[in-house]
Amino acid sequence: MKKTLSIIILIISFFIIYFLQSNFFSFFTIAGTKPNLFVIFVLFIGLFAGKKLGLVLGIIFGFFLDIVIGRQIGISGIMLGVIGLIGEYFDKSFSKESRITIMLMIIGSTIIYEIGCYAFNIITLDVNFEIISFSKILLIEVLYNVLITIIIYPIMQRLGHNLEEIFKIKNILTRYF
Amino acid sequence: MYKNKKNGVIGIVITIIILILLVVFTNSNINQISFLENICNVFVMPVQNGFTYLKNKISGNENFFADMDKLKAENEELKQKNSELEQSLRELEIIKAENETLKEYVNLKDKYKDYTTMPADVINRDLSNYSSIIVINVGSNDGIKEEMTVIADDGLVGYVISVTPTTSKVQTIVDTATAVTSTISTTEDTIIVQGTLDDKSNLKATFIPTDAVVLQGDSVETSGIGGIYPKGIHIGTIKEVVNTSNPTDRYAIVETAVDFTKLNTVLVITNNK
Repeated sequence: MKKTLSIIILIISFFIIYFLQSNFFSFFTIAGTKPNLFVIFVLFIGLFAGKKLGLVLGIIFGFFLDIVIGRQIGISGIMLGVIGLIGEYFDKSFSKESRITIMLMIIGSTIIYEIGCYAFNIITLDVNFEIISFSKILLIEVLYNVLITIIIYPIMQRLGHNLEEIFKIKNILTRYF
Repeated sequence: MYKNKKNGVIGIVITIIILILLVVFTNSNINQISFLENICNVFVMPVQNGFTYLKNKISGNENFFADMDKLKAENEELKQKNSELEQSLRELEIIKAENETLKEYVNLKDKYKDYTTMPADVINRDLSNYSSIIVINVGSNDGIKEEMTVIADDGLVGYVISVTPTTSKVQTIVDTATAVTSTISTTEDTIIVQGTLDDKSNLKATFIPTDAVVLQGDSVETSGIGGIYPKGIHIGTIKEVVNTSNPTDRYAIVETAVDFTKLNTVLVITNNK
């Protein structure tokens, strides 16, 4: 019951984030560059709720984005699924109790997601590879995501631990006993 | 990271302030913050002028600077003459092109009148920083089909890539995946204009013929080649011509006629197929 309720809350949160990203962050930009809240959100799910939920919700959210505003169906779905998966890998390898490690995870995830999407676009759409412009935008986007992570870190921790208790309690026990 | 809760809150507040300052300063026009420049200049410039005066006195460079001023004036005069000659050349090119294509222009004007257009509002914009797609509020129920051309009052916007009964996705010309075969209206040379990641208001024009005379301010229009866009729709004007050591690699920056950041209403040409 608690799991179902949590998943419903996560889906509602996704829609709130979607409207934030498409309305507020379309003008609240750093040098014309928007943050990528979806990467932060899916990584958060992967980190605290585990790879299964991270992967499934990442793929569903990504496909939704592709259908609503994407050029090709599947790219965002696959890449957000990957971010959900590596969330658990990050959890096993690093401590998520530190703001610095969370920030580094966000940097890594944003870079992986954007490079993946851009590579797909270059291969499938014959887009010119503009390495300098791409790096410049990616750098600002990473910075923006990091600043947002610093601001929302206390909320992430509080909600994350609640989520962890619901989805990962068995894993925690097996890890220590 | 922080030793206590109070420090954590202060950290978050400082980050929010930094974020707001970054957003405000990176998006504002430099002219709008000229008052800051003036304030800084009040403190710095008197001292700077004093140092420059002293430096000139000591090194006895007054004559040198006087000559420099003369050379600068001469240079300005030559630049002025050069631009006047360029202007004359351009006018000649325009007259020449006008003679050859006057009849065609009249036909195009008539052709433009024949287009049936469907007005639409932009209801969603791309969430990504790397592509430029918009969603409009007309779809297959309104007779919209894939590959229909979308224009605005000022010029070309893009083409429809997918349709639902009530909405359509439009890939704009500033998207990096879009390449439009175009012509320079004065010389009728064919070029390819493509979107870039750098700027959402400029396009990159490539494949410029080596013998083509491309000048700043020339109008760029669709050529009709490629089967998606009808001929003669205004795309933008040449903003800058970048010459390279290899003439075949030279390119131009085209400023789009449509301001994509303020694009709210569009027209879909429904009978160009």
